Amino acid sequence: MQNYDIGNKVLEFANKYGADEAEVFISANQVTSASVRHNLIESARNQQSQGLGVRVVKDSAVGFASTNIFNRLEETVKSAIAMAKVRDSDEDWKNLPSSGKYPAVNGIFSKKVNELELEDCISLTKEMIDGVCSFSDIIAPSGSFSRMNSNQLIMNTNGVEVEEKGTAVSGFIDVITTSGIPSTAYDFRISRDMDIDFYGIGKEAANLANSCKNGVSVNSGQKDVVFHPFAFSDIMESSFLSSIEADNIQKGRSSLTGKLNTDIAARGLTVTDDGILDGGIASSVSDDEGTPSQSTGIIKDGLLKSYIYDSYTAGKEERYSTGNAVRGSYTSTPSVGTRNVVFDHPASDIISEIKDGVFITNVIGAHTANPISGDFSVEGRNAFVIKDGQIEKPIKSLMVSGNIFELLRNVKGAGDDVRMVGSIITPSIWVSNMNVIG
Amino acid sequence: MREPEFYDVRWIEGESTSILLDNGKIEDINTNYGSGCGVRALCGGSWGYTSSEGVDGIDTAINAARELASDVNKHSPGEKVTLASYCEPNVDNLPSIKETPRDVPVEEKVELLKDLSNNASCKGISSTSASYSESTFKVHYTNSEGADCEYELTRVGFAISAIASDGAAYQVGRESNFDVCGYEMFRDPGILEKAQSAGKTAVDLLGARQAKGGKGPVILDPELAGVFAHEAVGHASEADLVLEGSSILADRIGEEIASPLVNIVDDPTLHKFGYYPFDAEGMQSHRTDIITDGVLNSYLHSRETAGKLGGTSGNSRSQGYSAPVVRMSNTYVDNGNSNLDEMLEELGDGMYLAGTRGGQVNTGEGIFQFNAEKGYIVENGEIGDLVRDVSLSGNTLEILKNVLLVGNDLKMHSGRCGKSGQAVPVSDGSPHLLISDALVGGVQ
Repeated sequence: MQNYDIGNKVLEFANKYGADEAEVFISANQVTSASVRHNLIESARNQQSQGLGVRVVKDSAVGFASTNIFNRLEETVKSAIAMAKVRDSDEDWKNLPSSGKYPAVNGIFSKKVNELELEDCISLTKEMIDGVCSFSDIIAPSGSFSRMNSNQLIMNTNGVEVEEKGTAVSGFIDVITTSGIPSTAYDFRISRDMDIDFYGIGKEAANLANSCKNGVSVNSGQKDVVFHPFAFSDIMESSFLSSIEADNIQKGRSSLTGKLNTDIAARGLTVTDDGILDGGIASSVSDDEGTPSQSTGIIKDGLLKSYIYDSYTAGKEERYSTGNAVRGSYTSTPSVGTRNVVFDHPASDIISEIKDGVFITNVIGAHTANPISGDFSVEGRNAFVIKDGQIEKPIKSLMVSGNIFELLRNVKGAGDDVRMVGSIITPSIWVSNMNVIG
Repeated sequence: MREPEFYDVRWIEGESTSILLDNGKIEDINTNYGSGCGVRALCGGSWGYTSSEGVDGIDTAINAARELASDVNKHSPGEKVTLASYCEPNVDNLPSIKETPRDVPVEEKVELLKDLSNNASCKGISSTSASYSESTFKVHYTNSEGADCEYELTRVGFAISAIASDGAAYQVGRESNFDVCGYEMFRDPGILEKAQSAGKTAVDLLGARQAKGGKGPVILDPELAGVFAHEAVGHASEADLVLEGSSILADRIGEEIASPLVNIVDDPTLHKFGYYPFDAEGMQSHRTDIITDGVLNSYLHSRETAGKLGGTSGNSRSQGYSAPVVRMSNTYVDNGNSNLDEMLEELGDGMYLAGTRGGQVNTGEGIFQFNAEKGYIVENGEIGDLVRDVSLSGNTLEILKNVLLVGNDLKMHSGRCGKSGQAVPVSDGSPHLLISDALVGGVQ
């Protein structure tokens, strides 16, 4: 059965069993991947999935069910309606989104990526390993290459009918030195098009592990810290992004409640949630409930300008959705989430401006942050001493702790090395007064 | 095409329901019916995997996996893989289900969550969220060596979190329990006490000051010590990581790597959240003594790693239809013979760290970092002021050597463990541990 036929059938069942409104979200993905183990390609993988989620509204209460068994569509719809009936009417519920004008979004489908053969996937994976092997005494214990073709259809009883195809390709490699005290590093790239230098991924990772050999210790204290895009995006994702989501604001679970149009970050820092970014990993013509995607200014020159909304949280405030309904998969209901998040700050040669500080490439433990208070404490990895405007010796181990909202106010500058780390796009960021424990 | 020498098929079919209550109101309620299969084929040293979810045709999946394996073998031949020999499992240790969750009306489950929320809402709590989950699924395993076995398993659980706020600051308290049993879990009034404890933790943390970092002696509570056993030791004992050069425990079997008081065990036969009757390769589950009296005794194995290193397989697991990976199950530090009072007296001045907000480990370098939920200053053996935002970090082998006393009060906690992009149910635990020297991170 084609997706449209399945969708129509689901909406018919919903109507038959008395739903006031109904929505079907169908996704079909095909992922081809290869895994590296100890400098060799160990395996190749092909994953096919197709499934659907049904959201129904009955007396202003929402029910949801999902399945990947297409001869159980009727049972799935009945189950969604049964779920809705357990709930009380929700006075905040307005409507499922109506059909809107969809933007043109560039660069989210690549024919080249779509048509990659297994042999191509294997040779790109080999390129990463070759990059690692350009250094002696360094191996790749693990790594992976992945290509995804996705197809998504959203239909509802208010006339939404939006289908979209996307592609993505990514490479990840872990490396470790084989002589002396082990030194590790990783590198990662993702894109919707065939524009990744896979050899470069391996080479960069190996170069980093190589430069981190024989680390020194560093004194504890308040220091200037430069966070590489890996480290910065990891910390932001775990401790900041949830605080701009409208449901957290409305439920009092965000430190940014009531802070609109106040200074929350250093002047110069601009943050945008962009669902229509060219080639963005989280770009698409609509969000996951069929609202047209858009670009929303979150922080402008330090000033908090907006939160992000899906149709439900927008309905509560009698405003429009910002196109930020996202789903983990077809098995879950949409909820508020970020799209591409772009950090922007005037660039300069920041290292040369720092007398005494540290550069941190990546962190471990970012997910242990407290996303409400914004407090975090992480271990810095692949870190270096910055002295008199120069990057010097590698640092064996250090902890960095602080509060994300203070960190945003202490942003002093940014590099010109803007990088797409999944759906977060950022340069290296220079922050003063960070608490470093050596 | 070179013919693969081995293939296997896991077919899974099941249904699950989850309910999320937010501030006493249903936020999400969700049922899923799912089925699909994961297929592997081995050709020389190369694996091919296919999974097909919601798409029919096991035969197509088997053929595709065989083609992938033989293609990889052709373009990137690796050292031939020899699987440890196969043996059909006995499925005779399934947990009993006293009350089938599916038969309990949804309304009753919603009432249960409301009860939990009310119990978590003590004075000072500004919001709560409570979730319920149940799943029942059947796993059917066959392979080219003639295996044919299956089991059905039911899992239930709940999680409660409470947020305390004074307008400016926020603190969270969380409790949860997941298990391989039926709805009878929720007939135990103890779960309401857990909800109360989540509320109390949040309120207490709000009044707590931030911890000061530094080095010194610490006592770890059973939850945090269990996370250490799982994250720092358990992962490093996974033989796939050992073979890929990512484990600090490589080449150390038979070596004394910990204080002689330390015994660490992984046991999937226990009826805890990490239970399974046979693993994702159809092998009987069994207990593994990872560390015995301080000596590294065994790694955790798949058939491939057992074939290479020797040892007993039975530790392959997968999430849904994904490819099997060497994983832990129920992992714990076994009881010693000290009680908490003796440990506090021995500690004298130091920190008592309790609970966890997750952690991360570099198994290759043997270093870790965990955030505790809370800490207490201990002075003269007396537990004193509560502090927040404390983390424990250090070197796995150093911490193992620095274990001075092991308590006699083993307690398990359930959760999910992530590796290779897959999450599987696990439990971990420990009695209290006294560590002579550790790095405690704070904010001040």
